[in-house]
Parts: sequence; C-alpha cells; structure tokens
Amino acid sequence: MTQTSALAVAPSETRSVGPQARAWLDANLPDALREDMLQDNKPTVADLCDWEARLHKAGLVGSTWPEAYGGRGLGLRAHLDISREIGRTPMPESVNSIGKELAGPIIMAVGREDQKLDYLPAILEMRDIWCQGFSEPNAGSDLAGLRTKAEKTADGWVVNGQKIWTSGASKSSRCLLLARTGSVEDRHRGLVLFALRTDTPGVDIREIQSIDGERSFCEVFFNNVVIPEEDMLGSPDEGWAAATRVLSIERATNRMHRSWRFENQLNHLVSACAANPATRKLVEVDYARQLADVSVNIDLLKGHVETLVGSLIDGNEIGPRGSLPKLFWSEAHQNFATLALEIVSRFPPDMSDPLRAVRRRMEDIYMKARAETIYAGTTEIQLGIIAKRILKLNQGK
Amino acid sequence: MSDLDFSPEDFSDTARAVMEACATAADLPARIALLAEAGLTGILAPEDDGGMGLALDYAVPVLREAGAGFLAAPLLETMLLARAFAGQDVAAEIAGGKTLATIAWVGEISGQGGVVGRAPLGAEVASVLVFRTDGTAVLVTLGDGAEAQADDSLDLERPEATITVKDVNGPTLDATQVKALLHAAQILRSALILGASEDALKRAADYAQERVQFGKPLSAYQAVQHHLARQCLAVETIRNSIARSLSAHCETPVAAARATFVGSCDLGAFVAENAIQVHGGMGFTWDVPLHRHLRFARTLAAQGKAAELKEDVMQQLLSGQDKEKEPAHG
Repeated sequence: MTQTSALAVAPSETRSVGPQARAWLDANLPDALREDMLQDNKPTVADLCDWEARLHKAGLVGSTWPEAYGGRGLGLRAHLDISREIGRTPMPESVNSIGKELAGPIIMAVGREDQKLDYLPAILEMRDIWCQGFSEPNAGSDLAGLRTKAEKTADGWVVNGQKIWTSGASKSSRCLLLARTGSVEDRHRGLVLFALRTDTPGVDIREIQSIDGERSFCEVFFNNVVIPEEDMLGSPDEGWAAATRVLSIERATNRMHRSWRFENQLNHLVSACAANPATRKLVEVDYARQLADVSVNIDLLKGHVETLVGSLIDGNEIGPRGSLPKLFWSEAHQNFATLALEIVSRFPPDMSDPLRAVRRRMEDIYMKARAETIYAGTTEIQLGIIAKRILKLNQGK
Repeated sequence: MSDLDFSPEDFSDTARAVMEACATAADLPARIALLAEAGLTGILAPEDDGGMGLALDYAVPVLREAGAGFLAAPLLETMLLARAFAGQDVAAEIAGGKTLATIAWVGEISGQGGVVGRAPLGAEVASVLVFRTDGTAVLVTLGDGAEAQADDSLDLERPEATITVKDVNGPTLDATQVKALLHAAQILRSALILGASEDALKRAADYAQERVQFGKPLSAYQAVQHHLARQCLAVETIRNSIARSLSAHCETPVAAARATFVGSCDLGAFVAENAIQVHGGMGFTWDVPLHRHLRFARTLAAQGKAAELKEDVMQQLLSGQDKEKEPAHG
C-alpha cells in the first residue's frame, strides 16, 4: 500500500496521467469498497471520507484546481485521463461530488480570496461535505421561481424558506444556498448565493427515503437563520450570474468518469455470467445482441464526452450542447439497467457469491437509474433545450 | 498534417458545389470527371499518384456532403482504392478519374473465382475490388474474366451489382492493406450517413416550421419538437463519434471506428424514419427524397456488415479482452 502521490511528476498535457492513476487505484482500493464484490455492510460516511481524502492525497481528485487551493493545477485532458481510470474502478460514487464539482468551481469563480483559501482545500481533504440548496417545492425545473428569502439586517442575512431534493444534506457541513432578496416576481434578479454552515441554528434537515431505499435526499427548512455577511458568495445578482456560467460547463463535464463506470458495470455483468456454466448461455446466446448494443452505446457516449472535452480545451463555449451527453447517457444507462435486471432475474436460486454480487449491483443500478432521467434537468427539459436552443425551432408565438 | 494551413472543414463548400453539379450531370463518367477535377477522388491518394495525400479526416466533410447531396457515384470506394493501391499504376488512374472502380463489399472468392455482391454501381464501372478468402483482395477488370450483373437494390442512387469472377487476375492488396481499407471504410461510411442524416433532419425541421395546422406551425407542438430534438441528438452522436474515432487522443481507435459505424447505421435510419414521420403523408411519397436517405443508410449497413459487427462486439466483450489492448491498426 502506497500513500505517496500517484502523480509525483506534473505531466504535460500531451502525456497521459492515466497509467499512474490506474496503478494507484489497483494497489489501493480496499475490498470493502469494491462494488463488484459482495459486501455485508455498506461503507459508512467516515469510510468514504477517508477513501476520498486518500484519493486527493494521491492526486486523483481536484486535478484541475490551482495548487494554492489544494489542487494539482493540471488541464482538462489530465482530468479526462484520470476520470477514465476512476470510472474503470468499481468504487463508490463520491459523497462530496457537490463540493468537488459544483460548489468548488462556483467558489473559484465568485469567491473572495479568503473564502477560496478557507473553503476549497477543505472540500478536497473531505473536511467539509457540501450540499446544494437550489430546488424548492415550487421551483424544480423552473428554478427562477424560488421563494426562499434572504433579508439583510444589522447582524447579517436572515433567511426563511424551504429547500427540497437536497441530496446528502444530512451528511453535509456546508450548503450552497440560493435565496432571493426581493419578491418572486423578480425571477432571475435579486438572487443571492451563500456558503451556509448546516449546523447554524434554525436549519432543520429532514431525510426523505428514495425508491432505492437510501436516505440521501433531504428537505431543508430555514427558520430565521442568520448568515454572516462574509459567507455570501459574490454580491447579490453577481453570484448567481457567475454561478449559471459555471453550471453550464459543469453540467457538461461533471462525473466525467460515467461512461467508463458504465462500461465497468457491463463488463462485470458479462464476465460474471460467462464464468459460470449456469449463466453462460444468458450472455453468449440469449442476450448477446442486446449486450452488444449496450457496448456500442458506451462507445457513442465516449464520443460525446471526449469530443466535448476537446472542444472545451480548444476554448469553445458549450452552452446548450451539454444537454446532448446528459440525454444520451441517462437513457442508454437506464436501458442497460433494464436489460441487466432481466438477465440477473434468471440467475439460479443456488447462485454463487460472484453471481449474488452482480445481481445485487444490477438491482441497485436499476432502481437508482430511475432518477437519472429526472435529475440535472429531466429528459423533457433536455429535449426542450435541444429544440429551442440548438435547433432554434419556431415556437409559433 | 498539423502544418497544413487548411482544415478538413475547408473542403465542405467545394464539396457541396461539386455535389450540386453532379446532381445534374448526364451519367457516372461525367460525375466522376467533376469529382476528379475538384481533386476529391484522389483526396486520400499519395501526391506521387496524383492525389492530395491527406489524412482520413479530410475525406469526412466531402463524404458528408456526398451523403447529403444524394451523390450517385461510388466516391467512398474510389477514395479508398486510390489510397490502398498507392505506388501501383492503377492508383493514379483511379485518383484521376480515368478508371471507374468500385468495391464488392460482401462475399469472398477463392483461387478459382466465385460470386461476390453488394458492389455499388458495379454494373457501370470498369474495375471492381473483390475480397479473397485468404484476407487479400484483387482488383478485377469487368469483361476480362469477370462479369457484373445489376442487382435488385434498395439504394436508388448507387444500385448494387453482383460480380462473377472466373479468372482471378489484377492488381492485389495484401491482408494488412485490406484491414486498413475496411477500418477506414467504417469511418467514411459513417460520414456518408452523417450527411444523409443532417439533410433529413434539416428537411424535417424546415417542414415542421412551414406546415401550419390548427393555426400553429407543427414545430410549436411539443410532440413534434421532441421528435426533432431526438433526431438532432442522433445526428450529433454520429458526428461526435466520428470525431472521436479520428482523434489522436482516442484510446481504442479500432473499437471506436466499429462502434461509430454500427451506431451510425441505427441512428441514421432512425433520423430518416422519423423525418418521414414528421412529414406525415407527404413523407410517404416518392417525390419527397427522405426514403432515398433511408434506403442509403440501410444499404450502407448491409455493405459494411453492421449486423455481423455486433457479433464481433459481443465476442470482444466475452473474451474479457480489454478494448484498450487492441492491436495497432494501419
């Protein structure tokens, strides 16, 4: 077991950092975190924080962040190389992806220097887990309708309102909170961003059980919550404007590893079935054609991701084109999950541990996949974006 | 190629103009002459053979325009043959448009000869590349030990022919050259499908915005918008996958080219089918050319053996062989 950095030498943009990342992950992923092995107990938040802190120490997290904030100062190409290897590794999703892929980049864009130095290293070192307080009961896809109110007083900002679908709020220490200074009629004007400590008096977090059995989702209530002025991110209006710019890039690049994780799931299913005489026919004959279609879709998805990364490196704007990989990935993965569920439903009752492990994994993927066409903009929202902003169709108005 | 002061996209406008000229040309020799005059037949052939010596990505916009413009010529085959026979006399003849040639994509002959098929415009050319059971290929001359018979063909612009070979003689390609040709063909076919799909989507989007029903253009209806958005996703998926297959950063170019082609066949047919759907009854008429794109996409799938390639994909999955460890390809 090595704890030294996998990326001891800062590589140039042309040399892949992938092989070093691969070697580190192979040597260091604990069996207890492997998603392709049968686990008696789910890893705890503490286990996951420990693992993710080690990933950061090894240089596999925050690769594109400046070194002053705990990053490696590398480019997007290196991030893609590392993401591929993370995807190929059957490890849990980050418990702090909101911190690493949303709050962090927004803080970098609009935060004061003291905020950056305070918040950013804490995200990578897993001292702070972030959640995102954007959606509300009446402002889901239509975020500009949000009602949570922030009033400026002598003691700081006083916040009242409610957020919902706040993933991971009960495990988090910070919330990227979006509130408004004026009235709902102001729509996109008067929105203000805060880095709220979730242990602030008046913050009430309640878990919501989701269809996969998890309790990650939360509702968060704010009752006269006082937020000090220094925890505001950017000025009112400015913070949100910058945040939306960051969001359009993040939507296109977040969880860049997912095509390779998807491939890892497919390979796990196929290899586990092929290794057992009782299930070999399922993949060699019965579902061979559909599994080949899944494999082709994974390559097509890589086409979206890699071309988009290349385009960002060339300095192009992504804009509405971020909807293309999101839509393609969510539907392809959901279709795979449905196929995988049918295949594992035909496993014999006296199945071996490896088969039990793949069945449990595929069942979990199937239930979780229901959310994939909903979060980060539903399928219907993505299709609308493509129709209106890419095809620019005449809306007849 | 990075020192070139022009990019692949710089060929689009020229290519589009040539395709428009070809649409009104009298016959195949006239069309090949127009293509050769613009240098497009020899775009991949070495400069020593009278070509432009450009990389594969320069052929993509040209074939995209050919697909969009219903080009009735075996341009993909001509480009590939002029490149594959580099250094042999026939390369210059094909690159220069002097010898009309095509490829019989399906079937193999033995040493004694045999019957092969799916040669686009095989009944109108002078030479046909025929694959052999040992993995090599030979360029036979029609009327000299080989005969072409026009076949029933789904594709209207490039009707296919069956080739009967009795005497096997002509310039040959070794197995490595054949492999390289087949790999390139997968990407270039995808470029043809990309062009056909772009044109089908454009026609559907234009029609939906012109056609008014119940006081609104069809494009104002969300059901129609979502149809068109899905077609757009399909077109962009083909485009991005071609780009990935040709990128120096692609880890698995062989698997990527195969997936690009197999995916493009399904996606290209999807776009054409849905463009017909958006046109309603008009879409089912012979005069609306969407069926020509659909016929083309389906025929290209058969010529490139898309269905068989899915079996290869599955074999690779089952072998547990990492795609990234794929053998380097010429």
